[in-house]
Amino acid sequence: MSMKRPAIRRYSQISLAYFLALFATTFFAFPIFWMVTASLKSDQAITAYPPVWVFTPSLQNYAKLITDIGIAKMFINSVVIVGLSTSLAMVCGTLGAYALARFDIKGKQMIAFEILSIRMLPPIVSVVPMFILARWLGIFDTYWLLTAAYALSGLPFVVWVMRVFIQDIPQSIEEAALIDGCSRLETFWRVTLPLLLPGLAATMVIVFMFAWNEFLLASMLTSNAAKTLPVIAANTLSAKSIAWGLASAAGVVMSLPVVILVLLMQRYLVRGLTLGAVKG
Amino acid sequence: MAMTRSISTPVVTGTHKAERAGERRTGVLLLTPAFVLMNLVGFFPMIYSLYISLTNYNPTHGGASQFIGLKNYANALLDPQFWHAIGLTCVFVTLSVTSSLVLAVLLSLLFNLRYPGFFLLRTIILVPMLITPIAVGIVWRVMMMPDLGVLNYLLTVLGFQPQLWTSSASTALLSIVLVDIWQWTPFMFLIVFAGISSLPRSPFEAAAIDGAGPIRVFFSVTLPLLRPVIVIATLLRIVDAFRTYDTAFIMTRGGPDFSTDLVSVYLQRINFRFFDLGYGSALSWVTLLIVTAIILIFTKLSGFTRIISEKESR
Repeated sequence: MSMKRPAIRRYSQISLAYFLALFATTFFAFPIFWMVTASLKSDQAITAYPPVWVFTPSLQNYAKLITDIGIAKMFINSVVIVGLSTSLAMVCGTLGAYALARFDIKGKQMIAFEILSIRMLPPIVSVVPMFILARWLGIFDTYWLLTAAYALSGLPFVVWVMRVFIQDIPQSIEEAALIDGCSRLETFWRVTLPLLLPGLAATMVIVFMFAWNEFLLASMLTSNAAKTLPVIAANTLSAKSIAWGLASAAGVVMSLPVVILVLLMQRYLVRGLTLGAVKG
Repeated sequence: MAMTRSISTPVVTGTHKAERAGERRTGVLLLTPAFVLMNLVGFFPMIYSLYISLTNYNPTHGGASQFIGLKNYANALLDPQFWHAIGLTCVFVTLSVTSSLVLAVLLSLLFNLRYPGFFLLRTIILVPMLITPIAVGIVWRVMMMPDLGVLNYLLTVLGFQPQLWTSSASTALLSIVLVDIWQWTPFMFLIVFAGISSLPRSPFEAAAIDGAGPIRVFFSVTLPLLRPVIVIATLLRIVDAFRTYDTAFIMTRGGPDFSTDLVSVYLQRINFRFFDLGYGSALSWVTLLIVTAIILIFTKLSGFTRIISEKESR
């Protein structure tokens, strides 16, 4: 009897833990399940009451996205703008991070914090001057404008996260290359950069994610030619008749690339999201 | 760690003054692209915005704008609609951030049991933070439809009262808070869980020897050790929660009856519906000042600066 009681207790404890974990997972997964199924339903099935759980899935909404909305163009816009801005942020940011991590520069702590302050800047503040300046420069509704804006918002992530990744590489490896007669830049290119590749990939995914999902700047700084996916998805709702199926399908198309990329890079996610402050 | 120290003044080079100067030049050169990007796209528009905020610029009125000094700022201080939005945003941020923090800590403790299968469930829980906020707004709007939505169906099945969700001024803000909690608790959970997994073992062993119960251990060992991680996660979340726009825009556009008129939604209306860009810029500067003040108070109270500088000096 006295042997049995702790075993029962332990058993009920484990079941409770599983119950709670499954309950939490259901809460977080259900809306995603609902979005994916809604994208495969007709609009009548989405608004059916009581809700339809078993139905014949159809790809009609996805077909409509291509034929009626022309989502292919927005998809290309998103890919080009986010691709360009992410590359720009990665190049500028990694070079800057290397300088801050390895060179003796006056006031580098202050420079680092100045760059960090961009992370704090709400886009609603910078959107108005960007809007006015862009119209004046004639770059409103072009790739350039959003590319520049997203490169800027990615910059603090790249600088802070890459700085930590660079500091993690022992200096002795670089010193060996320097003794062998490589210049500082050669050393960076041939020795440091290859070691940084996993960190670079992880940072890139995070910068990519924020730019890909961004809506406010995209909706205010484009009107037609440079529209990105979140803008077109929002537009499916503002029309007179709300197209739920279409909107859900747009939601799935938008979210899928990020979900796949980030889950592949899960290992580095914590470090990237906290700008290097917390090790995952 | 002494190694990292010697990095800034490399041992191999840098013995001669000329070489040190060359070294410094390379460093500055490497920082230049970031510096140009930051000033051209970041700070220059901000300064320009400061100038606009001192004018009555409105492109729909035509004609040139006039310099009107601090008049916009004076108006901002007396704008009840603006302060209503600021107040709502503060309520929104407080409710959302505290709830997701508490949830994240509880989830981290639960998942730290690491039973078989928990890794998969943990990965599934991360997904909401990756979904485009516009898509999140869309799907929650579908689920929250008062007469046809699946949430009210589930509530009725479980024997609860159906809710009006975003259709009623009394529940709309809470509905948006719920969506925000759903999307961003995974972010907090990810970071707090990483913190819990890397805690040292010895304090827990010592507490076990002293015969401390699980609740005592949580409050006097786990929580204090987790503090730096919690502070960083909370700070990042506060910064982002203040700028919440997408979900509110998609789900309610500030309504019904201005009950979800978060400050970014209000600013968007002033700037891009009424094109009152001078006034809008002044409002955004006041907002920026308020948010910065709140963040500074938080960093002071939480010892954030100390946490970061400890990390820096390591």
